[in-house]
Amino acid sequence: MTPLVVDGLGFIGPSLFGSDQSKKSLLARMEAAGVDVTAVAVNRPPDYNLAPANTWLAEAVATSDDHLVGLARVDPNHRGAAEHAEHGLSTLGLHGLLLHPREEVFRIDDGRVDVIVDVAGAHGRPVVVSAGWPWVAEALQVAELAARHPDVRFVMTNGGQFNISGLGQFDAELALQRCANLAMFTNGVYRQDFIERVIAEFGADRVLFAAASPQFEVAYELLRVQNADVPNEAQRARVLGRNACDLYGLA
Amino acid sequence: MVSSPAVLHVPVRPRTPGPVIDSHTHIDEVPALGWIDPPAKLVALFDRAGIDRGVVMPYTETPGLNPLAIEYTADAVAAYPDRLIGYVRLHPWFEEEAAALLRRAVTELGMKGLKLHPVGTLSHPADSSCVRLMDLAADLGVPVLFHCGDEPMTTPLSIGAAAALTSATIILGHMGGYFHVDEAIEVAERHGNVLLETSAMPYPAKIREAVDRLGAERVLFASDGPGCRPHLELDKVLLAGLSPTEERRVLCDNVAELLGVKI
Repeated sequence: MTPLVVDGLGFIGPSLFGSDQSKKSLLARMEAAGVDVTAVAVNRPPDYNLAPANTWLAEAVATSDDHLVGLARVDPNHRGAAEHAEHGLSTLGLHGLLLHPREEVFRIDDGRVDVIVDVAGAHGRPVVVSAGWPWVAEALQVAELAARHPDVRFVMTNGGQFNISGLGQFDAELALQRCANLAMFTNGVYRQDFIERVIAEFGADRVLFAAASPQFEVAYELLRVQNADVPNEAQRARVLGRNACDLYGLA
Repeated sequence: MVSSPAVLHVPVRPRTPGPVIDSHTHIDEVPALGWIDPPAKLVALFDRAGIDRGVVMPYTETPGLNPLAIEYTADAVAAYPDRLIGYVRLHPWFEEEAAALLRRAVTELGMKGLKLHPVGTLSHPADSSCVRLMDLAADLGVPVLFHCGDEPMTTPLSIGAAAALTSATIILGHMGGYFHVDEAIEVAERHGNVLLETSAMPYPAKIREAVDRLGAERVLFASDGPGCRPHLELDKVLLAGLSPTEERRVLCDNVAELLGVKI
């Protein structure tokens, strides 16, 4: 049986930064690549207002024939951020939270983030962190937050690193070692053998396929996992989709 | 930052028949990094990917941290003379010693290029010690491959500053990494002695853009293997949607002509 392929993160909607991706475009990329489901968050909207964008996202998800699940994007700098998180998870029925320290300009281990994470914890939902960004979302900074909330599941994008010399790998491994409630997405990870090593050292349940399109190309990011040397196909199936189903509570 | 990639819906297809040369890979054994990559491991990955030959270099520099690296590289090439092509990786701070090693590596050991990695050496590309080494490489008729990513002293603009000071052929390895790819293409547009190399940079659409803006003869395929798996890196080029003629240039002809390698 062909394993379910779930892209752990994609972005849709108009973007302040010009990297727009429509729902239709994402669904086309998914179909072309063979992705069954994508967890989506909104791009940072041009009007800076995440609350109506999350509502728009929920409507987009509801009309996606179950190909999309939604993450509520929340800005800790915004007064009422915890209420926005609560609204996203309870009223809109979204499946987790997305924090983007670089685009929202905050440090992921800043104390203001805790009240938002508490909301995710109360709902049993995960927190996805756009990670690897120097100064604001380095792997060990993500681990600081994850360590304060051991009952909440966190996932860091980009393997927790943006470094094409491999210099971010040490911190990423230390973060995974410190926090059993922390996992990583595979998008853009430098060296496929890093993904393979993390699976070997920490287990296949700590690694999830994600493309984080449109910055990264879905078809290519999927190959990064499909062609990796993992010990067995059961582990690959976990990385390709089973882990994401568990994370987001998908059937 | 990287500008928005074009939408790609190009399935991975069989590559155009013809040889493939990987223009940037590593052979070395560095327990501190967890990177144990002897030549046989790389050659097996070449076989899996259908890659005929590859340029090899160590992970660290001589003189200094890796005093036996030149011999290790030469031995690897001697063990696989039809598969591996050696580059010498040097530390510019050791000025006269590094120059002598470059001469020996090229004229006695048959190495075909110089690798410089400013993260490892803390040497700015436009520093006089680097420029003198690059000038010597030009005199010897070999190119200079720079690590070119997002770290200080490795960005396209830093290397571009050096490109203006030398006649050496400079290859921007990783073509700018994650967030300096647009600048890598711009620097190559400004400097005729600069080429781009595709390894590890994660955006297939940027290979297409580089070929469109620079011409297929200015872009070289590379994997940065074995850690970055050569078959995955080859798939990235195939996803870029190049024409068969462009693909042949990128996958083989450019680096074969640059290094004077027959295949």
